Amino acid sequence: MSDPGTVLRAAGLRKNYPSGDRTLEVLRGVDLAIGAGESVSVRGESGSGKSTLLNILAGLDRPDAGELWWDSEPANKLGLGELTARRGRFLGMVFQSYYLIPEIDAAANVLMAARILGGVGAGERDRAAALLKRVGLAERGHHLSSQLSGGERQRVAVARALMNRPAVILADEPTGNLDERTGDEVISLLLEVCAEERAALVLVTHNPTHAKKTGRQLNLIQGVMVGQN
Amino acid sequence: MPWPLYLAFKQLFPSGRVSFITIISTVGIMLGVTIMLMVTGIMGGFGYQVGRLIIDTQGEIQITARHLLEGDKTGGVEKILAASPSIVAAAPFARGVVMIEFASRPAFPAIQGFDFDRMKKVIPLERYLLAGSLDDLDDDSVILSSMLARSLGAQIGDKVSIFSPLMFDRLNRNEVLLPREARVAGIFQIGHQQLDSATVLCSLRLMQDLYGLDRRVHGYNVRLSPGENVDAVAAALNAALPPDTRALTWLEANAEFQSIITFEQNMIFFLMAFIVLVATFSITISLLMSVLRKTREIGLLGAMGGKARQVALCFCVQGLFLGAVGTGLGLALGFTLLRYRDHIVHFVARLTVGQDVFEKFYQFSSLPAHTVTKDVVFIIVFSLIASTLAGLIPAWRAAKLKPVEALRSE
Repeated sequence: MSDPGTVLRAAGLRKNYPSGDRTLEVLRGVDLAIGAGESVSVRGESGSGKSTLLNILAGLDRPDAGELWWDSEPANKLGLGELTARRGRFLGMVFQSYYLIPEIDAAANVLMAARILGGVGAGERDRAAALLKRVGLAERGHHLSSQLSGGERQRVAVARALMNRPAVILADEPTGNLDERTGDEVISLLLEVCAEERAALVLVTHNPTHAKKTGRQLNLIQGVMVGQN
Repeated sequence: MPWPLYLAFKQLFPSGRVSFITIISTVGIMLGVTIMLMVTGIMGGFGYQVGRLIIDTQGEIQITARHLLEGDKTGGVEKILAASPSIVAAAPFARGVVMIEFASRPAFPAIQGFDFDRMKKVIPLERYLLAGSLDDLDDDSVILSSMLARSLGAQIGDKVSIFSPLMFDRLNRNEVLLPREARVAGIFQIGHQQLDSATVLCSLRLMQDLYGLDRRVHGYNVRLSPGENVDAVAAALNAALPPDTRALTWLEANAEFQSIITFEQNMIFFLMAFIVLVATFSITISLLMSVLRKTREIGLLGAMGGKARQVALCFCVQGLFLGAVGTGLGLALGFTLLRYRDHIVHFVARLTVGQDVFEKFYQFSSLPAHTVTKDVVFIIVFSLIASTLAGLIPAWRAAKLKPVEALRSE
């Protein structure tokens, strides 16, 4: 069971991938507990298993062993359909490549998160507008992603991740495609809005400066979590 | 609006404009449906025209028997026909084959004798007369089909000799029956090769004399009130007629010919259907390209809580929509082209062989067309099903993508 106040907990996560004749141990018993509204960074070298961990925490991938709880719910015991539906409400995700839908404008991209969960009403439209305003794009709601800069696209992605008031935001290298100054701005914004929304943040990053801005810093070294856990 | 539909339309019409791939896919279906509709309509037109010709020359129902029937109004068949409220008119006929000679040129045409006063209400022969008049027809005159008159070299007013099988019968009894002289009172052309090639029409009395039938006849041609169900009336007549006398609908009497037309129609429909099928490949390919191009977006939809079947629905709807729009435009274009088919044919004829040569060679100046609701419904249903199935393949591929793998894809 999770401790009270813990929104995301993983225990003994293991993940192996076949690599030729060998088995590559990507995660070797990772334990993790994230409190409500807490911000945590996970650093590690390329191939250390950061993205695999994030995918497992998001329920996009299944661990070979270990347990995962979303709030107090054992997520790895949910069926695929329920897991997918639950993920939309519980988690928001921010990716390195933004993944905005190019055919719809920024506001519609933010609203898409609500649309997938069931529908869009006046309340959802107001929230999307408020989030866009909060990320500094109040005037850019009707712009397509092709008309936005990289930093602006990532801000839209942040607003979209927060749209359904998730308990946790998982951000996978959100500044990877941005220049340093824009990256700093995005990370600051992400931390601020997560704090305002009382959403926990798990930030996977290479950047030590960005990592230091989070409340807790973890390192993933060869599939083992090192740091304050 | 459910998000798969919302996203489907956004992908088809990004920013309110129509994407090039959408246009190409729609045009493919449109052309396929147009061609199917036109070919079906024109084939149906030929079939319909032949059907009208048969009805015009035989009536909707023909009464025949194994034996000869009484040809006057006191006969049992006449009474049954007169009692039916569905029947507008019925005319007795006798038919056979004779040898006809003019200027030492013989021919062996089919001959039909009618009671012309009664026949006028059943068969609109005046419509098909090229020369002469039905009013000039008496028991000593005949009407020749156009090709027969041409092959004999006979014209209006010429006298032809008619030799009947009865003459051989009389010869067996050592009697000599002289050929019957008959004046050519008219020349007709129906537009049906079989009827126009060698047919002689004469009065019922003359035919009865040529075949020694006395007052008896071979059958009746029956005309029904407009809108009557031919099959139902024929069934009612068959129930009332004696067992050896039968009422045949025009379709039954020409079943072989009709089955050939239906077979041709079905074959052409079958072949034309491949055009639509090929067109649906453009939908499959464009949607497959879309799935490949949007692999990471599909992964994102899954990551945001979108179910695999909803992702599939998004692409399926696009296929169905492209098919529906293409079908609608195809029907509109097809009906327009059918409406102005003669203008188009004449325009092409003028540009190529010339109008006169065209009409002489093809023996028609107006391209027939007849579209029945059943065929249109079939085209619509076929096109929509094909388009939806075309969308299913990319939809299935999209649904199969695991979000984690889709997000990781390059």
